[in-house]
Amino acid sequence: MSALLTVRGLSAGYGPIEVLHGVDLDVQEGQVAVILGANGAGKTTMLRAISGMIPRTGVVDFNGQSIIKTAPERIVSLGVAQVPQGRGTFTDLTVDDNMRAGAYVRHDHEVVSDLALWYETFPRLKDRRSQKAGTLSGGEQQMLAIARALMSRPKLLLCDEPSLGLAPLITKALFQTIQRLNEQHGLTVLLVEQNANLALDIAHHVCLLETGLIIAAGSPAAIASDDAVRRAYLGA
Amino acid sequence: MKELLQYILDGLSIGSIYALIALGLVVIYRGTGHINFAQGEMALFSTLVTWWLHDKGVPLLLAIAISAALAFVGGALIDVGLMRPAGRRSAFAPVVVAIGLFQGLNSLSGLLFPKSGQGLPFPSLFPNKPKDFVSIFGAAWRIERIGVLAVVLVTTALLFVLFQKTKIGLAMRTVANDATSAKLVGVPTNRILMFSWALAAVIGAIGGALKAGIDTNVSIGSMFSVFLLSAAAATLGGLDSPGGAVIGGLSLGVIESLVGNYPHDWPASDWIGIKTKTVVAFLIILIVLLVRPSGLFGSSRVERV
Repeated sequence: MSALLTVRGLSAGYGPIEVLHGVDLDVQEGQVAVILGANGAGKTTMLRAISGMIPRTGVVDFNGQSIIKTAPERIVSLGVAQVPQGRGTFTDLTVDDNMRAGAYVRHDHEVVSDLALWYETFPRLKDRRSQKAGTLSGGEQQMLAIARALMSRPKLLLCDEPSLGLAPLITKALFQTIQRLNEQHGLTVLLVEQNANLALDIAHHVCLLETGLIIAAGSPAAIASDDAVRRAYLGA
Repeated sequence: MKELLQYILDGLSIGSIYALIALGLVVIYRGTGHINFAQGEMALFSTLVTWWLHDKGVPLLLAIAISAALAFVGGALIDVGLMRPAGRRSAFAPVVVAIGLFQGLNSLSGLLFPKSGQGLPFPSLFPNKPKDFVSIFGAAWRIERIGVLAVVLVTTALLFVLFQKTKIGLAMRTVANDATSAKLVGVPTNRILMFSWALAAVIGAIGGALKAGIDTNVSIGSMFSVFLLSAAAATLGGLDSPGGAVIGGLSLGVIESLVGNYPHDWPASDWIGIKTKTVVAFLIILIVLLVRPSGLFGSSRVERV
């Protein structure tokens, strides 16, 4: 087992304000890693720093290659896809066009067969393929955001709080989908969440992020038994 | 009835030029969220280049093609050299830069082509002698007017294929919709914006040549009123809608033509007629915008959370 993503001393922020203060993280190939943290802990900043959307310093190695100086669109083509917070679907474009946009970085001829594959996996999207994405429900848009990311054939999927604004049942189905993608398609996932209960269920590895620092890391069982975590995130 | 058809065709012909320049505005608006105030003068400059090439003996169509190719490069350079550095400082700065570019290109035109102040003779692209017309339903349809309309419709159709059927068109639409998400799916947003500017400049070069051809003349002031009316057409259609720009431009041309030919013996002919055609056109746009602030086909964003 080797680390697909290695992060060392990563700092990032917005203008003069530093949000992440040198975090370390390893995501093993084929695993689901979860970063738990409250609002304002720096979860979104962390993902944006990895995908190159904001200026960052430190070490970010993906698949044995440094991507600290790489432009975001190039990082996508290397195999890192991000599902942003609030889904970030192209609301004026049809579901189909959203999916095709997801494959923008690819130049192979299997885009059509991938489209069929993901429509099979997400039949709701297939039903609505010619509808504008903005007319989809929140849960459907989240599915679309994930399916769109998958169209780039990523090795690593970054998911930013997929449960945000979704009903509990839909959130549960969503996490099952993510788990299935991991188990059946071998997709490596880095997920940031506030919803600890669900996230711990599908995680292989968990980090706790607080005010821009990782304060604990370990297996889900170890993290769940930590008293501080239980009080802060599991409501027990 | 015959006259009515005639006026409508005349209106469609001049309106098609508004439509074309409005398309150039829409291409840039969709990418940047700004109206390109320099669109008209970019077209003027390209048209003067076309005139110069033709004056030196280059066949007209080839001169337009060369000028359009130069416009493509020029448009890209305007984005890379002016708009992008300005946009990094402040979101509003590109608007001011575009206004500066408008002034600058106009002055540069006067400097490089000193005689353009009085107007330079420009050949028509189509047969335009008095006898060059076809009669359809009793109305005399000038071949030149039909030609201009056809060029615009073909250009528009090509743009639609570009937007809807090509990968770069899809990328342009993602940037227009959500630039951050476009970056996240790997669209090189800067390169797409550069291409948008280049494309708008090419559209300007074609539109400018058509306009100068109809006027058989190009002068420093020729494109200013065209720009104003095209901006109005784009606003009427919805600034982010290419289809809206075309319909906006054509309707504006037809309204102008109908008002301009309003019969003298009809009521209120002191107020409606050739002198007030543009005023009336703008009034109608104003009323439409009061009812539909985002224009006829502009997206008032559909969003569900």
